[in-house]
Amino acid sequence: MTAVVDPVEVVGEALGRRSGGRAVLGWLLPPVVGVAGLLVLWQVVVWAFDIPEFELPAPSSIIAHLASDPSFYLDNARTTLWEATLGFGLGLAAAFVAATVMAHNRFVERAVMPLAVLVQVTPIIAYAPAVVIWLHYGLRPILAITALVCFVPFLFNLVTGFRSVEPATLELLQSVDANRREIFVRLRVPHALPYLFSAARIAVGLALIGAVLGEWFANVSSGLGYAVLEAQNHNLPLQLWGSTFVLAFLGAVAIVAISTLERAALGWHSSQITLL
Amino acid sequence: MTAADLSGAAPALIEVAGVGKTFSRRGSVTEALRGIDVTVRRGEFVSFLGPSGCGKSTLLRVIGGLVDADRGRVTIEGGDPRAARAAKRFGLVPQTPALLPWRTVEGNLGLLTEVNRHGPESRPLDPDKVAELVEAVGLSGFLHAHPHELSGGLQQRVSLVRAFALGAPILLMDEPFAALDEITRSEMRYLLLELWQRTAATVVFVTHSIAEAVILSDRVVVLAARPGRVAAVERIELPRPRHVEVEDSEDFHHHVRRLRHELRLGHSA
Repeated sequence: MTAVVDPVEVVGEALGRRSGGRAVLGWLLPPVVGVAGLLVLWQVVVWAFDIPEFELPAPSSIIAHLASDPSFYLDNARTTLWEATLGFGLGLAAAFVAATVMAHNRFVERAVMPLAVLVQVTPIIAYAPAVVIWLHYGLRPILAITALVCFVPFLFNLVTGFRSVEPATLELLQSVDANRREIFVRLRVPHALPYLFSAARIAVGLALIGAVLGEWFANVSSGLGYAVLEAQNHNLPLQLWGSTFVLAFLGAVAIVAISTLERAALGWHSSQITLL
Repeated sequence: MTAADLSGAAPALIEVAGVGKTFSRRGSVTEALRGIDVTVRRGEFVSFLGPSGCGKSTLLRVIGGLVDADRGRVTIEGGDPRAARAAKRFGLVPQTPALLPWRTVEGNLGLLTEVNRHGPESRPLDPDKVAELVEAVGLSGFLHAHPHELSGGLQQRVSLVRAFALGAPILLMDEPFAALDEITRSEMRYLLLELWQRTAATVVFVTHSIAEAVILSDRVVVLAARPGRVAAVERIELPRPRHVEVEDSEDFHHHVRRLRHELRLGHSA
């Protein structure tokens, strides 16, 4: 028997890959300390300055309030999460189709880019009422608004990603007369993945904004945006902050999910070696 | 019997006749190539040697059907370069390894074979034969590694084997070792010769290294710059197979001196 050295294993060790519970703890500890620190500071400030609840409730009161009526928040969170997810998916799908066409046609790209920039810089809140007039009350305008705000970052990043192919690799495939579809599938799409994930991180926050905003205009009676609106109308500071906490939690969970997916999908990508 | 012995009698595989190419970009016009005549025979190893800006890479692309000539004519096996490219008659080795980072070494080796499957005339090498080449360049232990886990030299070996694995009769190499350190580069030259001797491929090799051109080639085409034109053609009469000791021989130094002289003449003309 001779000792067989697996070169991949050797390189893995050289890169300092660690395993076991200590590594996980070291990875989780700083963010937990950061969030807990903020809550403690908040709590202390509310106590120390004796801030009234309608101005800023203490985190302990908000958490107690959340615990007192979990089903209310669970139901509304489910609604908003569904809207945000659908809008996110629609925005991604539409951007993928548009970016595919744009990556293959300079004229279309140059014609569509200024429109995308206009969509990006025009505050959605200004024309959201018009979207409601076109699509009527209910889920449809919420999805349209959410998809639209997600569409723009996906479009910009996918167009950049599809074009980020190394010229030498492109020429290599052209040297064997690979067709556009083969180049798109084998080269452009994988190259766009890191850009797609960057866009997804941005779009998570935008999708939640879109869903909450949509609920405000679409005259619905469910969702965290609705809960916020109701809190404002009936002067319920704990419900306002409770909804905000749940929204923040949803966003954070979505970001962690995307990061996990990214690390699984992009083990090869150099930006992954030092990430998090 | 080596490929070099055949070169005198073998038929012309690549014929470049009176080729000219001019690039115009933002009003400025650059004449990259003027009146190039080169013939490469089947099984031959020919280098284009010249300073940067002499159009040697452009000439390689014109031969490979990636860039069209403005004047003159290129024929590959009697036909058009674009048709040869469509028939997968070229194996390109670019200056950078150009590996797909999400694919393993094994996946990268198969890349050129798996695209454009409709009616190519080249037959990819048998898996056994590819395994032999992989073994010969010392990549056997790395088949499941990803490119970012490999050194620059190992990555360029993958790029070489990828081109050979395609089974194309013509290999086009565009300064493939230029980015490597001197020690690795020297090693790679003899690895390339070893791979070449295992196949019947014809190689067109672009380089700015005189020593590299002498070590590798049957013939060296010296190009002068602005506009790129043929300054001289030197036949390299060193016995094959060549090993590193060849660099100590008087014949080697003789060729190096002559080529250096030709380059200087071409430069001052």
